[in-house]
Amino acid sequence: MKLDEAFRNHREKIVDRWVDYTLSTYESSSFFKKETDKFANPIGGNTREALNALFGLLAKNADPLEFVAPLEQIMRIRAIQEFMPSVAVGPIHAVKHITREILEKDKERRHLVQDLYDFEFAVDLAVLAAFDLYMQCRERLYQVRIKEIKTGSYILTDSKCPSKLTNLLKTDIQQSV
Amino acid sequence: MAVPKLEQLSKSVVQGPSLATGAIPTKDWMDVEAVFKPGNYAYPAKVEKVEYLNSQKGLHFPNAREWNPEDDDWKLPEDWKDIILKGLKDRLDKFRSLKIFMDCCVRCGACADKCHFFLGTGDPKNMPVLRAELLRSVYRNDFTIGGKILGKMAGGREMTVGVLKEWFMYSYQCTECRRCSVFCPYGIDTAEVTMMLRELLHLVGVGINWILEPASNSNRTGNHMGLQPHTFKDNVDFLADDIENLTGVKINHSFNRKGAEVLFITPSADVFAEPGLYTAMGYLLLFEHIGLDYTWSTYASEGGNFGLFTNNELMKKLNGKMYAEAKRLGVKYIIGGECGHMWRVVHQYMDTMNGPADFLEVPKSSITGTTFNNAASTKMVHISEFTADLIKNGKLKLDKSRNAHVKATFHDSCNTARAMGLMDEPRYILDHVVDNWVEMPENTIREQTFCCGSGTGLNTDEIMELRMRSGLPRANAVKHVIDKHDVNTLSCVCAIDRATLTSLMNYWNPGCNVCGVSELVGNALVMDGENRQELDEGLRTLV
Repeated sequence: MKLDEAFRNHREKIVDRWVDYTLSTYESSSFFKKETDKFANPIGGNTREALNALFGLLAKNADPLEFVAPLEQIMRIRAIQEFMPSVAVGPIHAVKHITREILEKDKERRHLVQDLYDFEFAVDLAVLAAFDLYMQCRERLYQVRIKEIKTGSYILTDSKCPSKLTNLLKTDIQQSV
Repeated sequence: MAVPKLEQLSKSVVQGPSLATGAIPTKDWMDVEAVFKPGNYAYPAKVEKVEYLNSQKGLHFPNAREWNPEDDDWKLPEDWKDIILKGLKDRLDKFRSLKIFMDCCVRCGACADKCHFFLGTGDPKNMPVLRAELLRSVYRNDFTIGGKILGKMAGGREMTVGVLKEWFMYSYQCTECRRCSVFCPYGIDTAEVTMMLRELLHLVGVGINWILEPASNSNRTGNHMGLQPHTFKDNVDFLADDIENLTGVKINHSFNRKGAEVLFITPSADVFAEPGLYTAMGYLLLFEHIGLDYTWSTYASEGGNFGLFTNNELMKKLNGKMYAEAKRLGVKYIIGGECGHMWRVVHQYMDTMNGPADFLEVPKSSITGTTFNNAASTKMVHISEFTADLIKNGKLKLDKSRNAHVKATFHDSCNTARAMGLMDEPRYILDHVVDNWVEMPENTIREQTFCCGSGTGLNTDEIMELRMRSGLPRANAVKHVIDKHDVNTLSCVCAIDRATLTSLMNYWNPGCNVCGVSELVGNALVMDGENRQELDEGLRTLV
């Protein structure tokens, strides 16, 4: 229970550093870190919301299935940005090191570091789930592209004139009759 | 056991060129080069399209050639630098606004965090101030005394191939939505800076196909799709047949009819592609309902003006065609459908390019007697203004329960909201045709609306990732009302929105439909003599 208490006491600090670390992966990140309105700052707002929720779940050793919602909130954004897959997923991993460092600096709770195994295992599971979600998002992106092509907007640029196509169809039909 | 440091984690995952360095930028922005790779640029225009446009009277699209943004050598004409600098000089002399925009920015940064491209990418060159600085730095270097003497110290820089490549990268990561302009204390219209960048690039044969092909189609057959008159007519007839099957109402519409009271012009996507088709069915039902004396045109068969995304000559020509057709047919005035940039061109540029349209009459609704004085000069009324006036005067029989399947929200299209102030009319209509609709958060609607992310001809699939990034602020606000109010429909008054928001929702908020406001009007109309089937999904119901 003492570890629970440590998580409670340091939650804000850990999450702040985690959010800061994650947002530092953007080239120009000071606004993302500063602005708190989620609608004015979708990347910063969603990252903060998702990591805060995820930390709560990791700290209480929740069912890994519950990780999916907050992870999806963050991975859906990172999957379509110019990150390599490892960089997109990497920051999820960072909470391990941040938590260790913060606990080690707390003289009263330094000894709890050795009890972090379950927490760190939960983080490992979250990282694996994040990679699955990253791939799902990439897959969805390609599906969206295929769907757009199939619904016809490609006709604008990548096909013959639609009028000509209609005429060809008519000729085909006449010939088959 | 040694504790791995966060820095090591950063190092271990950052192994190649990426924005994600996690470090404070070590280079001045001027020294960071634009890198082109699949997915971050739209395909260059096909040679024959550029040649065709260049062959047209009054148009200037020189230096057509095969080129690839990923190659070092863009095969620019030998004197490309002179062409660009002379082009800039000509424009500074011609457009006083450009000169002012180049001079008056104090780099306060109010615009910096307002751009959906910046908010979705974190790339500092997508801050409107810095995007404009790409042009402004060259302006300073070659057109101001301070810049000529002090060069880089005065914020100037020489025009190089690298700068040109940056222009191409970032003028096509701007949808000219003008959200930044709302926040600029000087009222700098950054969209016009982007327009100038694109104009200058066209002078050296640098343009994208998704803009130039629709533009050349519009010039050739009258619409983006390249539909010839008979095909355009067939498509509208087909929609009228669909309406008859669904509602039992026969639609009486006409094409190219001289002497009609009104010419109706809408984006061609409305008669050709989902989900715009249902919006077009809404127009047909509305006009049938009130017995309007109107005609479609198979020549002015496009409202959208892709000229706006290229240069002012082409914009003028494509806008002029609508008015030439109105004159030929002898109509009294024009009603325009749900379109975005058609309205920006009509409202902000038409009057000085082709107007005033003195051969037409100030629009006066023959049904309600209302005179649309706001359109006294352009003689063109927006379908939402026209519909809202009909509702206000009690001329429409509406049954909201026919939209019971819809829980809507409303997306203000950039051009209609910020370029013509059309904000209350679509909302007034929604109040009368659906039981349930909710607003998105205040800082994402009306004049602060976020762009769909794919306007100005960026609605092409090869940059899908980029579009999803730039559409994030809009999608994020939609998600909020989906989670909070179970919204299932995103309504709007723009054809590009209808196409692009559909893909945007498919990625960010699957299951959320996109529709035009006129589709919801069509759903709710109670028609005389109707024999309506059970339409659980309104005009979209498959029977």
